[in-house]
Amino acid sequence: MNNVVDQKNRKKMTIVDTDVHHGYRSKSDLFPYLSKFNAERFAEYGIETGFSFGFNGGVRGRRAELVDENNPPPKENFFTSAFDVEDTRVRLLDGSGIDLAILTGGIGQAASAMFDVDYASALCRAFNDFSLEHWIAKDERFRLVLHINSQDPNGAAAEIDRLGSHPAVCSVMLGCGAPRPFGHRLYHPIYEACVRNGLAVAMHFGAEGTGVNPPISAAGFPSHYIEMRQIRSSWYSVNVASFVFEGVFEKFPSLKIGMLEAGFSWLAPLMWKMDFDWKGLRRQTPWVKKLPSQYIKEHIRFATQPMEEPEDPSQLKQLIDWIGGSQILMFASDYPHWDWDDPARTLVDYPEDFRRRIFSENAIDTFRLSLPSISKAA
Amino acid sequence: MSKKYQVCYADEIPTGGRLIVDIAGRSVGIFKVNDEYFAIRNSCPHKGAPLCRGLLDGMVTGDAPGHARFERLGEIIRCPWHGWEFDIKTGQSVLNPHKVWVRTYPVSVDAEESVQTNANCAGPDPSIETYPVTLETTNTGERRLLCIHL
Repeated sequence: MNNVVDQKNRKKMTIVDTDVHHGYRSKSDLFPYLSKFNAERFAEYGIETGFSFGFNGGVRGRRAELVDENNPPPKENFFTSAFDVEDTRVRLLDGSGIDLAILTGGIGQAASAMFDVDYASALCRAFNDFSLEHWIAKDERFRLVLHINSQDPNGAAAEIDRLGSHPAVCSVMLGCGAPRPFGHRLYHPIYEACVRNGLAVAMHFGAEGTGVNPPISAAGFPSHYIEMRQIRSSWYSVNVASFVFEGVFEKFPSLKIGMLEAGFSWLAPLMWKMDFDWKGLRRQTPWVKKLPSQYIKEHIRFATQPMEEPEDPSQLKQLIDWIGGSQILMFASDYPHWDWDDPARTLVDYPEDFRRRIFSENAIDTFRLSLPSISKAA
Repeated sequence: MSKKYQVCYADEIPTGGRLIVDIAGRSVGIFKVNDEYFAIRNSCPHKGAPLCRGLLDGMVTGDAPGHARFERLGEIIRCPWHGWEFDIKTGQSVLNPHKVWVRTYPVSVDAEESVQTNANCAGPDPSIETYPVTLETTNTGERRLLCIHL
């Protein structure tokens, strides 16, 4: 259970962390990037519709040992992101030897569920501008997932065009919750803009069951946080099926999607079922020309965290083999959350070429990343 | 055979407090629960996290749905990574006491003159939170020393 990669070995391997949660310390950090009109509303109401579930683990979602009791995050900042750039550089980038960290925020998923689309879009723009100035500019190892308001697809496309050419911007954030699944054509302006700007999509849950979004399950709202965590895979499954059967990958053949904090143990049966069903129901979606699992393997990558731990570790190897082996996963730590994965203790007992794919190459391909010059030299 | 290391004066850890020290290459957390001291290794058997920096609170049990009871305040530590709970008195995990546990070490409170060795004890980890200390002395005015046996 407690195997660890020795420091010498770890140094040699490039690590791309595809899910690092960054944010602001105080709501006032975003005021400079908002109009007076929206800053007033943000000060008064904040993320008014909230996040998908109030309860969490750790200390308000964070690792307990990262929380400085003498300088705690303000209660208003409950979305559990890291808010101190220097601390993140020291603890995560230097401490865990991360060569590139994809900053995932954030508030975009919650904004996309808000009732007022103009307010939501303004918050996304402000968060992007704040992130570029206060995070991206501070370390060349940071990359950014743009926050967009997915309920205003044309507005989202405009935001992607505004910032999509920034060299540190690598993808566009979608939550899992939405009035319609994300393969639906109403969202296609977002994917057109992604393709136009050479950006991937990053999908990360965040505001399911809030605002304009439907309940977090077909049976409504569960009572407990641990129940909610069991529903998450369904949030991703519905969107995987939607992307495939709405023909998104036929329409946008270069589009790549990274599914973050989705887990992956549910993926093999979904692939099998989609393929089996397609054989008998193909004529209802004739634009889907290949086996559904083929589209998944060509277009979608899944972050490693959170990873289940079967009693027999060989079962995990089998599971990964079923879904595409070394090609399908990308390492993610989920820093600074309580259920994070330490790269030094993740998928340790796997061959070096397998680890290289998962710890850097798959993410580099999916998000079209270039490594900082320091890492290249090393 | 275990070796005895002097860690600090006993009155430097208040009830409910903790001290994390490096002793002979090992990081160890010492806790004062009521009037007793307990020491466990500062490394979670799950993923090697700094266990002793986790949330120190009680045991929550429930006999019926919707009924939760909180007891044994200060005796259960929850790992900062992934939340596994351990009994600091026995080192046993709550989730699987006989298969998942953290190493414990005996702690003794000795008179000053009886302590011989202080080798390899690096003292408190400066990154750990500190506690205000009220110095207490015995009737004779002597301070007692807290020792750990590794």
